[in-house]
Amino acid sequence: MPSFSHSWLPYIYLYVAGGFFFFFGMYIIHKSNSLDLRLKKNRWWRKVLYFGFFYFMIIHAILIIAAIYW
Amino acid sequence: MESLHGLGTATDWVVMIVYFVGIMLFGSYFAKYNRTTTDFFFGGRRFAWWLITVSIVATGVGSHSFVKYSAKGFEHGISSTMTYMNDWFFVPFFLFGWLPIVVYTKIRSIPEYFERRFSPTVRFIATVFQLLYLIGYLGIGLLTLGKVFTPLLPAEINLLGLSIPVSLMGVIITIAVITGTYTTFGGQTAVIFTDLLQGLILLFAGFLIFLMGINYVGGLDAFWHLLPVDWRLPLADFNKPPDFNFVGIFWQDGVAGSVGFLFMNMGLIMRFMSAKSVDEGRKAAVFNVLFMLPLSAIVVGNAGWIGKALTEMVPSQLTTNVNPDEVFIAVTHIISTTGVFGFVIAALTATLLSTVDSLINAIAAVYMNDVHHPIKKLLKKKVGTAEQEAKKELGAARIASIVITGLGIIATIPFSQYPTVYEAHGYFHSTLTPPLVTAIFLGVFWRKFTPAGVLATFLGGSSLMILGARYPDILITPFAHGTPFDPVHPYTYISALYNTIVCLGVAVIITKTFHWQKVVVNKIRNYSNHDNLMKVFIAAIALSLLLVWLNLGGLYFLLFATLVMTILVSLTAQYYIHYDPAKHTDGLTAWSIHRAKEIFKGGKINEREGEIVKVNWKQRKDNHDYVNVSSGDMKKMEAEVGDLVYVCDVRKYLGGLKSFHSKLGEPHDEPGVVYISEEHKLTGQFQEGKILYVEKEM
Repeated sequence: MPSFSHSWLPYIYLYVAGGFFFFFGMYIIHKSNSLDLRLKKNRWWRKVLYFGFFYFMIIHAILIIAAIYW
Repeated sequence: MESLHGLGTATDWVVMIVYFVGIMLFGSYFAKYNRTTTDFFFGGRRFAWWLITVSIVATGVGSHSFVKYSAKGFEHGISSTMTYMNDWFFVPFFLFGWLPIVVYTKIRSIPEYFERRFSPTVRFIATVFQLLYLIGYLGIGLLTLGKVFTPLLPAEINLLGLSIPVSLMGVIITIAVITGTYTTFGGQTAVIFTDLLQGLILLFAGFLIFLMGINYVGGLDAFWHLLPVDWRLPLADFNKPPDFNFVGIFWQDGVAGSVGFLFMNMGLIMRFMSAKSVDEGRKAAVFNVLFMLPLSAIVVGNAGWIGKALTEMVPSQLTTNVNPDEVFIAVTHIISTTGVFGFVIAALTATLLSTVDSLINAIAAVYMNDVHHPIKKLLKKKVGTAEQEAKKELGAARIASIVITGLGIIATIPFSQYPTVYEAHGYFHSTLTPPLVTAIFLGVFWRKFTPAGVLATFLGGSSLMILGARYPDILITPFAHGTPFDPVHPYTYISALYNTIVCLGVAVIITKTFHWQKVVVNKIRNYSNHDNLMKVFIAAIALSLLLVWLNLGGLYFLLFATLVMTILVSLTAQYYIHYDPAKHTDGLTAWSIHRAKEIFKGGKINEREGEIVKVNWKQRKDNHDYVNVSSGDMKKMEAEVGDLVYVCDVRKYLGGLKSFHSKLGEPHDEPGVVYISEEHKLTGQFQEGKILYVEKEM
């Protein structure tokens, strides 16, 4: 069994610190109206951006679980 | 460490030579699509997202990737993929901040952005940083190419009875000349199309190695269980060992590297700028980060994972003592036959060349826009007709590409003195990336960021970084997250956190004290000899920089000198630079994207969503830059006279190669017909009888 500092600690750090940058970016582009949600295509882009964050989060979690338990 | 030599057989070399010649001819063919410098550098802003995506794969999987990530995959396992899967955090900033600004402001280089956002002085310093960075990067790219190829070659080559000794520099020069040739004559269109071919070959070859390797070790299950558990984890250990730890790599690659890659890599930005629209560029970026980068991580690292499995399975085949930088070639040699080995090496060649060709093109673009044009303006050179000028510019761009290739070769000399390419690259990257990245990032997202702030970041921030590199145990340790201190290579990765913090800190403090600086500068102006006082300030700044660069004095004295210098830089900038926040942020920050669009179009934008119409084309006699469609087609498109349109051949597999941008002129009464000028026909290389489509851009 690998140590916590090699398995879940980097994962938590990655998505807490990285998540801070990501959600700050989402806030800035909303606030500046650069991501103008009145446009249909921009509403689609917002979904894509959130999807990407959780997509990588799930991939990394699956890979850690596979490494430890498979 | 054991080194490998002479692995390339005659068959492998035939494959590689055929490949080199083929790629040169392929790239040179696309030179006919370059009619202006816009075409030469930006591919005429015409390509479809999928073409840009595949082209980016070949560039993103850079010259160091196969060698570097196979080495890390061998030493540490699947966590070699970390750097390819941590770029998403900054994608929102890129898609809805930097990308639209770059496209709508029509800037041709990053320094040009600095002039428009701040001042010509800021542009000058940014140009110095950018050129140093790019030429150094090119030098490192060429050096890596040489280091990869040399072990494949015999000690000497016999050609027509002549015995030619093979040297590292000889290999570098040969490769540089070949790459320079097709970039010089082909321009960005050639780069994009050769990269399309190279990107596909690269993906295929990478997965071929993976499948052959899995097969060699007895299947996927056997491969997985041959790897120790620590090798299977996707993220490295949190803070150890010093040469590969998660937290350091997160700050160096996930933060500084990601922002640098998306915001500062001119080769990559030029790819996005060659997309037909901002939305098409966004699609290319998203598809690349979501799907192509994870696939690329497997492509570049899997030889190392297979290598580790091999050492666990049959230790005699590949000893743990092998030089990690040679793992990729060693593993490929073990698991593949002669013909396949030649093919894989050709694929490696593809990626190596791709990075170098993009860099040459990008540096030539910076040279033309930030050195050639300003000098021409300064000398007030007589301007000829538009056609003569376009021809001259294209000639100058080609000569610039040749000279840059030469400078890249010269730059390999000092870098070859470093023990490894990685160290040379790491040193260069960590020194020049944070100030530029901070300046661009705050310039785009912080309206209040001032020229004084950006100049202080460049000079004060980089001085603090130099001090950090000299006194890491005192300055960087507090940020090290418990990473062990390696006296030979102190804080290789986590130093990026310190560097970013000092640059950001200087930028924020100087910008936030804008009003105090104004008060002080107003008081200075009241002195009769204020002009001379400012000259003393400039001399003091130069002296402080010299003290820091030459390390004259102890740490605390140099910190004090840096503090004084940073204050003087802010006052000098305040005194000399006439900065109008309203003018200098108009359409140039994320807060004014709508204005950027209006400036781009030259009028009110029309964002009503309409249809794309298919049309036959007819040529008008005049050469004005507008197209005419029928009033019915305009209605379908929800378009008005003056709207920007994109006209393209309907054949999707061309990826937008046969296309152009224009404006809508007055409508006519022939449904399904577009009238275009002769220049449009030549730019789009349209063929008689082929159907086009017209799409409203805005």
